Amino acid sequence: MKVSVNWLRELLDGLAATDSEIAARLTAAGLEVEGETRLGAGLSGVIVAEVRETRRHPKADKLTLVDVFDGHEVTQVVCGAPNVPAPGGKVVWARPGATLPNGITLAPKEVRGVLSPGMLCAEDELGLGASHEGILILDSDAAPGADAAALLGLPDTILELNVTPNRPDCLGHLGVARELTALFPGARLRPLSADLEPWLSEGPVTELATVTLEDAEGCPRYTARVLLGVKVGQSPLPVRLRLQSLGVRAINDVVDATNLGLLETGHPLHAFDLDRLAGHAIVVRRARPGEPITTLDGQERALTGDDLAICDAERPVAIAGVMGGRHSEVGPATTRILLESAHFAGPRIRRTARRLGLHSEASQRFERGTDPNDGVTLSSLRCARRIALSTGARIARGAIDRYPHPIDPRAIVLRPDRTERLLGTPVSPSEQARILTSLGLTCEGDEGPLRCLVPTFRPDLTREIDLIEEVARVHGYDRVPATLPRATGVGGAPDPAAEAADSARDALWALGLAETLSFAFIAPERIAALGFTDGRSDPLLLQNPLREEQSALRTSLLPGLLAALQHNLSRGVADVALFEIGTTFRRRPRAPQAVSGASCSEGGFAAEDARTCEGKGEPLPDERQMVAGVLSGRRGGWLKPGAELDFSDVKGVVEGLLDRCRIPGTTFRAATSDEAPFFHPGLRAALTVESNGDTALGVLGELHPALRERLGIALPAFAFELDLAPFSTAAPTVMGPLARFPGSSRDSSFFVDAAIPAAAIQAAIVRASLLVESVHIREDYREPGRVPPGKKGLLWSIHYRAPDRTLTDDEVNADHARVMDALKAEFQVDTR
Amino acid sequence: MPQAPEPEKLDVVALVDTAERELAAAATEQALREVHARYGGREGAIKRAVQAAINAAPKDRKREVGQVGNAALQRIEGAFEARLRSLGDEARTRDLARTVDVTLPGRSHRPGHLHPITHARRAIERIFAQLGFTLATGPQVETDFHNFEALAMPPDHPARDMQDTFYLANSDLLLRTHTSPVQIRTMLAQRPPVRVICPGTVYRRDDDPTHSPMFHQVEGLLVDEQVTFADLKGVLLHFARAFFGPATTVRLRPSFFPFTEPSAEFDLSCVFCAGAGCRTCKNTGWIEVGGAGMVDPEVFRHVDYDSERYTGFAFGFGIDRMAMLKYRISDIRLLYEGDHRLLEQFP
Repeated sequence: MKVSVNWLRELLDGLAATDSEIAARLTAAGLEVEGETRLGAGLSGVIVAEVRETRRHPKADKLTLVDVFDGHEVTQVVCGAPNVPAPGGKVVWARPGATLPNGITLAPKEVRGVLSPGMLCAEDELGLGASHEGILILDSDAAPGADAAALLGLPDTILELNVTPNRPDCLGHLGVARELTALFPGARLRPLSADLEPWLSEGPVTELATVTLEDAEGCPRYTARVLLGVKVGQSPLPVRLRLQSLGVRAINDVVDATNLGLLETGHPLHAFDLDRLAGHAIVVRRARPGEPITTLDGQERALTGDDLAICDAERPVAIAGVMGGRHSEVGPATTRILLESAHFAGPRIRRTARRLGLHSEASQRFERGTDPNDGVTLSSLRCARRIALSTGARIARGAIDRYPHPIDPRAIVLRPDRTERLLGTPVSPSEQARILTSLGLTCEGDEGPLRCLVPTFRPDLTREIDLIEEVARVHGYDRVPATLPRATGVGGAPDPAAEAADSARDALWALGLAETLSFAFIAPERIAALGFTDGRSDPLLLQNPLREEQSALRTSLLPGLLAALQHNLSRGVADVALFEIGTTFRRRPRAPQAVSGASCSEGGFAAEDARTCEGKGEPLPDERQMVAGVLSGRRGGWLKPGAELDFSDVKGVVEGLLDRCRIPGTTFRAATSDEAPFFHPGLRAALTVESNGDTALGVLGELHPALRERLGIALPAFAFELDLAPFSTAAPTVMGPLARFPGSSRDSSFFVDAAIPAAAIQAAIVRASLLVESVHIREDYREPGRVPPGKKGLLWSIHYRAPDRTLTDDEVNADHARVMDALKAEFQVDTR
Repeated sequence: MPQAPEPEKLDVVALVDTAERELAAAATEQALREVHARYGGREGAIKRAVQAAINAAPKDRKREVGQVGNAALQRIEGAFEARLRSLGDEARTRDLARTVDVTLPGRSHRPGHLHPITHARRAIERIFAQLGFTLATGPQVETDFHNFEALAMPPDHPARDMQDTFYLANSDLLLRTHTSPVQIRTMLAQRPPVRVICPGTVYRRDDDPTHSPMFHQVEGLLVDEQVTFADLKGVLLHFARAFFGPATTVRLRPSFFPFTEPSAEFDLSCVFCAGAGCRTCKNTGWIEVGGAGMVDPEVFRHVDYDSERYTGFAFGFGIDRMAMLKYRISDIRLLYEGDHRLLEQFP
């Protein structure tokens, strides 16, 4: 919200601070100043001048020679504006020697051969705004020769305040001024005149209008005043400029007066054309479902039974607290006004404003909480006065006031020692009382607890802690020392899942992959493209995504990684090795009605409290931490030209990861189409881990050529995705024996049926041998010519060792022979 | 009778001369050892010649001949040792003459790269671990209760507007807008003392160079007896100095959050201009990084803690923002593109 420092000063006595000091102190007290705009800073020597005569410039069609009168003499000035007023009009003249906010000091200057002593000013030249459409035309009553800056309220500083939602009182200048009385001891609020006597008419208001309050819950208080004999016109220039500088468009003097009232007290007002109100009646009630109203912005809107409507005898004439209706709008023909000042219930106004997407200055204030007492009455009085002053209206005697259940100031007890204990710094009880009093509270009690009465313009102060905060912020957070808390006990438990994720991160880092992060919401078709055959094909969708391509919660990390791969390829980065650790989301079936909150806590995160599950029977999704990677391009290095990556690279990465993370009992096998439809059918593996039977851990493989084609990825790419859950139950590391006696190796080369997996042969070797320590495959060759058709050649290296003695050659040979016999028997290996 | 010449002696002298020449000429250690084996040692030609000469010499001269022979063998040994040393010296000299272009890249055994957010998060976790904060995590899809209501934001509370929320379709569930729900879950699950930090992914409906619809946050929560606002200030100051350097200062400014009171905005002295004023800090010398405050008694009520006995503070800030400030990353969206050229700049 914008505030004018000049206006604040008008409301205060004894405020000596500069504009900058005011801004700094407001920020330090929680009313953050997000911007400061200086209007007319440095402006001097500009005066009001009266136009006496105008002539065209002899050499330029667009220039005018203007005779201006400064109260003493007439001078000719050259002016380029298209809107020089007729003789008698008042303008702003910057004479030679005058200084403008842009720093220029004027001197006589020749303009196309005619000497011009200074210039007539437009808004921007005066530092008032951006407008340079023409020179500024003053009100006709401006006195020639008067200081124009003073007349225009310049210089001024406009502060852009970030008012937090708990401070509706600071959505008006009065509230900000009151805040300054707390921040600048010595500053006091000036009494605001609310005297209507000079303008009162004979008849009482009750003879002119009626108010029926049917919904006192939505509208605890409704007041109306009536003004008669209104002549609607334009507000004086200083009013229009003040509204403009505060970001409000001037409309007419009646509407402007309600806006000034809102800006002054923070309390919204609304003026109806009384003669457009059927029956001269106001009825405050719930709208009927579907009831239509055309609002001031020309939109026709349908109301619901939750909306609060201000109606006349027949139909809604305003959406309470949100926006007035067009039908009863004050216009040039209006002569009688009903002025509304009311207090509406915040949550109701908020729901309506939200539903209609209509957030007005009024709704913003009612939502946050207005003052039902002085706020309602003072703003009504001040506004009626303003309208009478500017339009010459008469004010009907009295006000209609429907306030069935008056809201009293709230009493709160503050223990000053509690303040000190919470802040960790001493603040004397008298200082605490001073602060609260300066904010408008009344405090009683010399020693011990303070009994405080909170005025109703501070709906945010309802508990002791609220008062402590007031004391703290006015006292100054900068005066609180910085200490370290004393440590007691253990503040929490270890988080194995987070630690496992970080181990996986380190492993993949060490394996040469770069970590990436992608959005958890992606385009549904990116998930569909992977062709999942399980729950992953049906992602959870967002109700209000920013855009369609961010509307589905990912069920796999692969789509995001493939998008990152595409991103890199499109930028000329051909060698890509990325990994991501992140959360995926899967639907959980809705629990049957009979089951209580328990369904929420199975697996993943628990919803400890039945409140979180009941009602909708809606479980939290199954959130799974996954780790995934994508590789494409060539192996690193320059000494030998990098070879193209193949399946063994992605498998090596996965093995390295498993190794580092101590996952025991993992098995690779060829994956099925259901498990990994997005991988090449011959180049994909599934990984399982033994824990309570075999659990699927994930898949790895080469990207299916059809998918690559669809994504525009030219070269082979490899990927893996594993569930991180088993990583948090890693096997403990325990030292094993160190061999004391030498062992002996035997190499063995043979042909075998190409379909037999290496792992089966390795297992057979281990089974058959009594002395085997380790088995390594050294070669797998299949080139036609080197091997018989349908076969593959394998070279194994088997290491034999005994823990308790040095093996003899005979022992080793005998064991190796056992191994070879077993392989011949089981796989018909051919050792020629 | 005139004495005959002593051919044995002459033979030995000639042999020694030849051996010395050959030893000195040996170009490699292997050749040297072959020459040495041929002439010197127990089986060598010189030993054999000396023995023959001794045998042939008259009895009274055998001793003299033996001495000459020994001297000859010693000469051979000396020559061998000398040549061995000089060959070693030559080899060392040659070895020392090798050079390499140290500016060529090394053989690739390079580790990969961790994301800047991981670097920042780990640094943050380490700093708070030193202060005794343990880690807590929670789900990203949350209930209204955990994300709003238990944090003193009932339905229709204006503060809900401060955080634009993503909701799940056909559901009351939402993507958490902060990691505060983890604080609630932690307090529901354990009694004080509580000393946790909650790093995690959060979501807000916002998208521009400084706001990403998904980002990372870390929140801290300390609940115990006698926890003060001054402690909050001390912990944040310690963190800021540990993370950005000892010259960093912290400013707390009053603000409003429904779940803390008193509430504060948490500003750092600008890490770019050290408070002098620059574009990043909009010439204020301060950078707004997070929110903080004393836990509101209303929150304690929701988790059944006695707010008379226990007090606590909470704080939160963006990990992305910290990473951007620390590593001078200009646009938050770069963090989520997976661009190798960016990632490779981080160890």
